[in-house]
Amino acid sequence: MAFAETTTSSRIATIGDYVELLKPRVMSLVVFTAVAGMMLAPGAIHPLVAFTAVLCIAIGAGASGALNMAYDADIDARMARTAQRPIPRGAISPSDAHAFGWTLAVGSVMVMGLFVNYAAAALLALTIAFYVFAYTLWLKRSTPQNIVIGGLAGALPPAIGWAAVSGSVALAPFVLVLIVFLWTPPHFWALALYRRDDYARAGVPMLPVVSGKATTRRQILLYAIATVIAGFLPAALGLAGALYLGVSAIGGAWFLNAAIAVLRDRDEKHEPAARRLFGVSILYLFAIFAALIVEQLAHVPPLV
Amino acid sequence: MAGNGNDEIGRQRRKRNLALGLGLGFLVVLFFVMTMVRLGGHVLD
Repeated sequence: MAFAETTTSSRIATIGDYVELLKPRVMSLVVFTAVAGMMLAPGAIHPLVAFTAVLCIAIGAGASGALNMAYDADIDARMARTAQRPIPRGAISPSDAHAFGWTLAVGSVMVMGLFVNYAAAALLALTIAFYVFAYTLWLKRSTPQNIVIGGLAGALPPAIGWAAVSGSVALAPFVLVLIVFLWTPPHFWALALYRRDDYARAGVPMLPVVSGKATTRRQILLYAIATVIAGFLPAALGLAGALYLGVSAIGGAWFLNAAIAVLRDRDEKHEPAARRLFGVSILYLFAIFAALIVEQLAHVPPLV
Repeated sequence: MAGNGNDEIGRQRRKRNLALGLGLGFLVVLFFVMTMVRLGGHVLD
């Protein structure tokens, strides 16, 4: 192992180092999509149970991030984007990150099972296990389809939120799961386009490294089209109303426009269109899930 | 300076211990309140 098992004598790991290990930005997106799933679910939930469910989903997502950093410390150290994460920079030892991550993972699932319900706990456990074992330990290092299949872990939180309220797993929240699942490839391949050399140096078989940038640009557009079509499903299936339809139409057009710009971009050195798509994709997902939440708060009736 | 280094480590350790203590205290309160919620409204009568 290339990393020190103990931290340096002049510094111990700070709270900020551990917070960084939880990938707070990813956590915020996970919580946001999970809350949308909770709000769409039929039935009522005690506010404190809802708070506990959101807390468990947030901690479970953070645990997944910590375990991802613990297992991927060798890759992170070789990439400019991730070399300053707590483990490669020597702030936290890999063994401490493992202990921290597994404690939070087991704790979040147990609390979800004890205080919310078993269906939500089982889905949370499945999500963490899929992210750690299927994506981090297997897919990421072995196939350019890594983020396509592995994206399921990041897509499941709306179903966890739904299960937390209803106590069961239904087909309806999987419409939201499908949107996040299809959204993940164009989002991460945009990043991989402008970080291609970074991934190549680390030996991670991302699509631009294995199949080239031209193929990646086409795949980005195909998945962006699929995402935007899936984005209309909540309105078409009676889960969302007019506000959502408007946001998904305008946001979808913006997202597609950014994906088309990536297809046409010839600036392989700076990849400005891919950088833009990365940001636009985040805003698109936030916008459509925010529309779902606002509609529920404002009691906007579904279209069908 | 070794003394300053030890002071800094001590300060960081105290901050971390305080955060850990607050986190554990929060969990104790959360578990208590959630137990009351799950058991129902009349359990404290």
